[in-house]
Amino acid sequence: MHEAAIAKSILEIVGERLQSLGAHTNAQSVEVLFGEFRNVDPESVSFAFDSMRALFSGCSDCRLSINTVTAAAHCKDNHHQYRPQAENAYRCPTCGSGIGKLLQGEELDVVNVVIEIERPDKEKKQHARVGR
Amino acid sequence: MHESADEHAIERILGKNEEMADHNREHFKSLGACAFNLMSAPGAGKTSLLETTFKIAGGKFSSCVIEGDMVGDLDADRIKKVGVPVHQISTGRSCHLDAQMVARLLHAEPLEKADAIFIENVGNLVCPAEFPLGEHRRIVLLSVTEGDDKPIKYPVIFRNCDLVIFTKCDLLEHVDFNISEAIRHIEAINPAVKTMQISAKTGYGVEQWAAWLVSEISEFKQHLKSDKHVHHTAH
Ligand SMILES: Nc1nc2c(ncn2[C@@H]2O[C@H](COP(=O)(O)OP(=O)(O)O)[C@@H](O)[C@H]2O)c(=O)[nH]1
Ligand SMILES: [Mg+2]
Ligand SMILES: [Zn+2]
Repeated sequence: MHEAAIAKSILEIVGERLQSLGAHTNAQSVEVLFGEFRNVDPESVSFAFDSMRALFSGCSDCRLSINTVTAAAHCKDNHHQYRPQAENAYRCPTCGSGIGKLLQGEELDVVNVVIEIERPDKEKKQHARVGR
Repeated sequence: MHESADEHAIERILGKNEEMADHNREHFKSLGACAFNLMSAPGAGKTSLLETTFKIAGGKFSSCVIEGDMVGDLDADRIKKVGVPVHQISTGRSCHLDAQMVARLLHAEPLEKADAIFIENVGNLVCPAEFPLGEHRRIVLLSVTEGDDKPIKYPVIFRNCDLVIFTKCDLLEHVDFNISEAIRHIEAINPAVKTMQISAKTGYGVEQWAAWLVSEISEFKQHLKSDKHVHHTAH
């Protein structure tokens, strides 16, 4: 399934951010949003992420935290706000009309990466000297 | 000594695919070709529809086909037989085409100039929905043997398309497929969508489909012209 491609894309984004901060950086965690109106299965992405992360430098300890975003829609006719669900054929439970606009639920985003910066030895010494 | 940095910028996970799709879109434009992404479950009739279209309406516009298949080139051979240039992308284990695969093809084999490029995606109603390829229009085929509940089971692909074609309509009398119910389901998810009924076997509906293609192609070419015009006056 395409969940492996999603996990790989997340790791690539983390990798780019590590690189932009220079050497001696490790990712601690990455936080993502998956809208329920996207075709992504969180469990499969997690599994793929954990089996792939060691292949990306600085990512071998990176935790993936997934937040699912429930869908919210305005119905087409009366502009009620509701959660479109399969059991109602995605229609508004109040008036029965279909989705006009999806307000949320189509996210597929990286929202936060926590990075640990290890100071290289030289700088450590410098730091110590300044301290003395 | 450890420090922590929080990187808060929001980034689209499939942003790279979207950038590549934009790149492909420019390629298609430079060929003067309007690109159509055909998506469906395996066996819904994508290749058959193309064969019939070229046989019945092949004179109305020139075409070129990109075939995405997991293995083999059976579909590409079928298209070749009706005299339309075809380019094959073997996706291997991947269950969908992505924009990178199409870009690789565009760079490796220059495509023939054509009015329309048809991209036959890998048979699957889930994954292809997430990977735009640089197409101008997205088309989903739903055969009447699959059941009229499929739009409810696969809402994402039916929401993100411009046209739904009910295929194998010659079989309607043999199956319990309620077309108006299916249309109702699709319109609840995607109010702007168009729907059509076709049989590649009998040719039923192919004329309407060809007319839709002709009008999409001419609208696309109109846009191309005015784009160029804007460029000219700008410099
Ligand atoms: N009865 C009928 N069968 C069709 C029609 N279109 C395709 N088929 C059959 O459905 C099967 C799959 O068609 P194909 O075009 O290969 O589907 P694809 O996998 O979506 O490209 C083949 O056996 C076709 O002969 C149609 O309009 N009517
Ligand atoms: Mg086919
Ligand atoms: Zn309502």
